[in-house]
Amino acid sequence: MPTIDTDDILEQRRAYNESLAQAADKTRAVWFPIAIMAALLALPALQFVGNYNYLIHLVLFTASYVVMASGWNVLGGFTGYISLGHNVFFAVGGYFAGMAFARLEISTIILAPVAGLVAGALGYLIGLITLRVRGPSFIISSLALVMIFRIFFENWEFVGGAAGVALKANSLPVEWAKLPYYYAFIVMAAFAVWASYRIKHSKFGLGLRAISKDEIKSESAGINTRFYKVMAFAISAFFVGMAGAVWGEYLTYIRPNIFLIILVSVNMVLMCILGGKGTIAGPVIGSVLIVAFNEFFVATLGASEINILATGLIMMLCLMFFPLGIVGTLARHRKLPRVLNWD
Amino acid sequence: MIMADMVQILVLGLALGGVYALMGSGLSLVFGVMRIVNLAHPSLVMVGAYIAYWAFRLGGVDPMITLPVALVILAATGVLLYKLVFEREARSAKYSEMTVLLTFALAMVVEGALGTAFTNTQRVTSPDYATDAFFIGSVFIPKGQLYSGIVSLTIISALALFLKYSAFGNAIRATTQNRDAAELLGVNVNLVGLVSFAIGIGLAGAAGALVSFVFSFFPAKHWEWIAILMSLVVLGGMGSILGTVLAAFILSVIAAYVGFFFGATWSTLTFFVALFVVLLVRPQGLFGEKPELA
Repeated sequence: MPTIDTDDILEQRRAYNESLAQAADKTRAVWFPIAIMAALLALPALQFVGNYNYLIHLVLFTASYVVMASGWNVLGGFTGYISLGHNVFFAVGGYFAGMAFARLEISTIILAPVAGLVAGALGYLIGLITLRVRGPSFIISSLALVMIFRIFFENWEFVGGAAGVALKANSLPVEWAKLPYYYAFIVMAAFAVWASYRIKHSKFGLGLRAISKDEIKSESAGINTRFYKVMAFAISAFFVGMAGAVWGEYLTYIRPNIFLIILVSVNMVLMCILGGKGTIAGPVIGSVLIVAFNEFFVATLGASEINILATGLIMMLCLMFFPLGIVGTLARHRKLPRVLNWD
Repeated sequence: MIMADMVQILVLGLALGGVYALMGSGLSLVFGVMRIVNLAHPSLVMVGAYIAYWAFRLGGVDPMITLPVALVILAATGVLLYKLVFEREARSAKYSEMTVLLTFALAMVVEGALGTAFTNTQRVTSPDYATDAFFIGSVFIPKGQLYSGIVSLTIISALALFLKYSAFGNAIRATTQNRDAAELLGVNVNLVGLVSFAIGIGLAGAAGALVSFVFSFFPAKHWEWIAILMSLVVLGGMGSILGTVLAAFILSVIAAYVGFFFGATWSTLTFFVALFVVLLVRPQGLFGEKPELA
């Protein structure tokens, strides 16, 4: 009777998996994201030939949402827990860094990772409570979270209540004034996309995706689902908080109705759904499209009510006809262009 | 005097509870039968409120008379929404999550449409009784809230009687308890779904007519109501109308006391904190039996 060497089998399986991973790597167009990065880093050079402040603002705005949507995706896409209240962490990051900037004059760009950690720690604590329930109850609890934080921030005198706090604008000439924030958001966006790729392909990410498929089975397969979920919540809060930190200084204002409006959290959700929940490129594509939509509706039609109407309508149509999102739908029909396959 | 204050607050809390109860019962009915957490419910209440507002403003029609009209209009809207949106989602794998997101998007559509049409100005209808009050000793009972409470309890009782004693009401309750078993026993669950969805949305319209003179309102206010109504439905046990009504009275009274002792700002916080505590301690609520949805 031949003896079976488990080490040998495991080694063979590992080698096989590696060959699969290498084969997948060969089809991946890594040059594409790198080319985009290079183009975006060089973009401000346009300021030498004319005034492109609006373009810079749009890219910056999109990048900020790439950070947030990619962060949201860790919880909503990989783990399958839809949160409609992630703007709470946007506010927490924004207020933490904004107040430090107002009182101690520490740049929010330097403080952004710290603000992210603060938001992440808070996310961990909140996750311990709200992740005890799932499905609709979780979504409802996330909505209530926004209401609670809004009441707190509006009545907390130290942070200026409903009027908020004005922050000092930087002293750079107007054509370069946006650049520190621009580069900060571009770097954060690249980091968020890279990090979500690494998370998705780690053992941790595999656990999260197992939870989104079937939580009870994952639990019985030995995954510490509670810890995994709460960590996913904390990580997603980290990214959103980081984006919030710099956003406050960029707007030179921190105020509840900048951070704690429902449109911010809806945008995160919608970007992921439109682009493709649980994919790496999805939140990026979604951010570009939704920011373009928002600009179109606000700039052309000039009414934020129409913007809300249109955002809701896009979300309904998207949910009804493309629940997998652009990347997901294309991938299912095997028509996803190589340049967009970042998974 | 402090005793009189306590009684006064109790009365005001109960009066408010009546309105919340009607707003919540439609939500509860829709969840019970369809398993749809209808986040658009408060925005549809808002539609009812605007119908009552314009009827009063343009034609001087009393909101109490507009109420049945709003009920019918919204019920028809409900049929339309069901046919266009929710019927096709019934086969979706992640149905409950999907419908939450869909109704959330619908709420935005309604808010945006109302905001575009009527701007975000604060509105309130002001029939004579809205600013009047009865006095019993030193305790005053605002007529508007008293009337709205009575009407709301009448409608809820009618609904309860319909559910309990009519054949179709029995079919609705059977579907709430166990959809598959009801279907096996010959209940037309699709029709039951359609009708209860229409009734639920119709109740939102009726509640809107009452709300129009109890609260001042503007399109974006429905977000606040969502969280309040959700706390009622979750505390009452998702899908239990009796539970929702009880929760409405309990929480409104608590909120009234919180408002008295700590200031009006914190009184709404009661609902949101209650929501968290219930989700934490007893996710199935007072009367719920659906731990799998918790």
